[in-house]
Amino acid sequence: MTSRGPMGNDRMGKVCVILAVLSARATAFALRLLGRRATSMPGLVALRLCPGLLGHLLRQLDAFVVVTGTNGKTTTVALLHAILDGQDQPWIFNDGGANLTQGLVSALLPYTAVSGALRHRRALLEVDEATLPGIVRLRAPTLLVVTNVLRDQLDRYGEVDHALACLRAGVRDASTTLVANADDPLCASLGLGRDLTYYFGIADAPQDGVARSEARDGAFCLQCGAELEYTRFVFAQMGDYRCPAGHFARPERHVAGSLPASDAGRLGVSERLSGSRPVDRFDLPLTVAGLYNVYNLLAAVTAARVLGYSPARIERGLGFYRAPTGRMQTVCETPRVVLSLIKNPAGATAVLRAIEADAVDKTVCFVINDADADGRDVSWLWDIDLESFVPRAKCAVWWCAGTRGPDMALRLAYAGVERSAITVVAQLDLVPGHVMHSGEPVYVLSTYTALHALSDMFAVQRGRAV
Amino acid sequence: MKPLRIIHLFPELLNLYADQGNIAVLRDRALRRGWPVDVRQVRLGETLDLAGVDIILLGGGSDREQEVVARALPMYRPDLAHAADAGLPILAVCGGYQLLGEYYELASGERITGLRLVDVATRAGGTRLIGNVAVERLTPSGQGTGETVVGFENHVGRTHHEYPAFGRVLRGHGNNGEDGLEGLCHKGIVATYIHGPLLPKNPHVADQLLRTALRRRGLDRPLAPLDDTFEWAAHKSVLQMLGLSDGGSVRERLVRS
Repeated sequence: MTSRGPMGNDRMGKVCVILAVLSARATAFALRLLGRRATSMPGLVALRLCPGLLGHLLRQLDAFVVVTGTNGKTTTVALLHAILDGQDQPWIFNDGGANLTQGLVSALLPYTAVSGALRHRRALLEVDEATLPGIVRLRAPTLLVVTNVLRDQLDRYGEVDHALACLRAGVRDASTTLVANADDPLCASLGLGRDLTYYFGIADAPQDGVARSEARDGAFCLQCGAELEYTRFVFAQMGDYRCPAGHFARPERHVAGSLPASDAGRLGVSERLSGSRPVDRFDLPLTVAGLYNVYNLLAAVTAARVLGYSPARIERGLGFYRAPTGRMQTVCETPRVVLSLIKNPAGATAVLRAIEADAVDKTVCFVINDADADGRDVSWLWDIDLESFVPRAKCAVWWCAGTRGPDMALRLAYAGVERSAITVVAQLDLVPGHVMHSGEPVYVLSTYTALHALSDMFAVQRGRAV
Repeated sequence: MKPLRIIHLFPELLNLYADQGNIAVLRDRALRRGWPVDVRQVRLGETLDLAGVDIILLGGGSDREQEVVARALPMYRPDLAHAADAGLPILAVCGGYQLLGEYYELASGERITGLRLVDVATRAGGTRLIGNVAVERLTPSGQGTGETVVGFENHVGRTHHEYPAFGRVLRGHGNNGEDGLEGLCHKGIVATYIHGPLLPKNPHVADQLLRTALRRRGLDRPLAPLDDTFEWAAHKSVLQMLGLSDGGSVRERLVRS
């Protein structure tokens, strides 16, 4: 594809690009002087001055890998970046989950010359589902990874169906290779009737035998509306399913993971990228905690395999992986404080399952905000499977904070926590002192807008302890 | 006492806004007062036996799910219409509210026929009405009661009707974003766009449903007060967020009653 100027090849277009790049650089510099993160604002400034800039940059890429889906985008990008990035082949990526248009521009700008030419020609970008159709119109991705399609912040995007429509628009270009989750019926439906599609999934996982109640979206045949029959659930609507009328069933997995019986084990992978090839088997270190993260790991591994990376190179790359901010991130060692983002019922339920597996006495804290980026509607708190978590949590003291702390306290009371064991903390900056007081391990679950502030506050506490 | 029987209609399809939270509240508030509770889920296609039923809940779904439900509604209509006429408490939220009515008209002009329990019409509007919402409860004659109800609304449908409203909009959009009214009350029906879910932060609405159910059993007596500190703290925090800080007096009046 030839590189076109943002407004055709005229001089005005070039001037506009130069102005946009310079202004964005100045903005990024100023933000850093102020000690703030420059993940979105420089892009916003550049786009104001030159709306065509993103297309101009994306069209220069030789490889354009996009990761989207409801949950696990940031972790999957971090895993895939650890695998792909190397001195021989540098990849641009949007660290920190800034996945709207301005965030994508901000990620590309540090590699953009004043002339508007990109210095690296490979980019791995996390893209929000609602932003995807606009991005794909500018430049079809070489490879598109869809992690899953779950119920998310309803007030932002309407409903699951809207997210699905955005994703369908994203996979329309036949030249794009799709990597999709076979175990999730909504996600798997994206591959119907298209070539160049590779599916990943979990073939074997130890079962805990506990009956859970979770929100299962899309557990219905999209063609006839019949309820899908499941022979196995992994979590949320993920598992082995088929339409009773035979319209739709879980597709064959090209890359299938088998979980070890103990935490110390390795992830078994069996792979068959094309029907004519024999099944390859290899195993990889489980560099992530929680079943939901195994899906992210498999998504990254499948993408890397499709891009031609060997199992040995993948294993080496995974050694460089560090959990992104607030993705089961240990933010303090003594006492151990683990910070995890929660933003929708399936993700939060999966995080709780991982916390439950840590069978020590612990303190649990929920920080729930309701800004736009968190989801203004907090009804999702009632779709989290807290009922099965509370009796197994080994937690005697529960804390709630954030603008919706009182809502969360009420939710916990209904999940079976004694009201006298729940405390609402009115101010965010008081949270670390309260929750670390007992010296027990602490799990802090937070929505997006409190996440970075909490990470910083716990870092300060850590500094004091040393 | 015979268990309080609650029916949750089509929970596998109409559960978009955590409507099981409403069930949990009704169950909890009955149990805390020493009444046994029997919650039954009726899935789409299953038979609905209304004998001995005290309360029905109908939640909301996505447009696609509501269309699936609407196709199966005719088989349920005669029994439900009879029960509604006899004053059975029915709580319908968001999509459930729309499904109680005559029809929902999509942007394309296509009409999805509802249960036709009430003479209510809903038409898709151009924008989504989204956000925190607070209303003042109204008496059947339309007088303000001083009681507030808080929650969240998210709907494209604009609903119009001639019945008494559930509340007067203090903040938010309500039925249609135009007439300042929210929801509907008719006989035992309480229909509203307010979710969040509705009942946890609005325990007085839950108790109203329970009181109506008991009255229908001939037990017309006040409900034992419960410790609702958490409930009113969450209620009040929404009022404050919306700049309606006089929630305190409302709360005290309710606790006393």
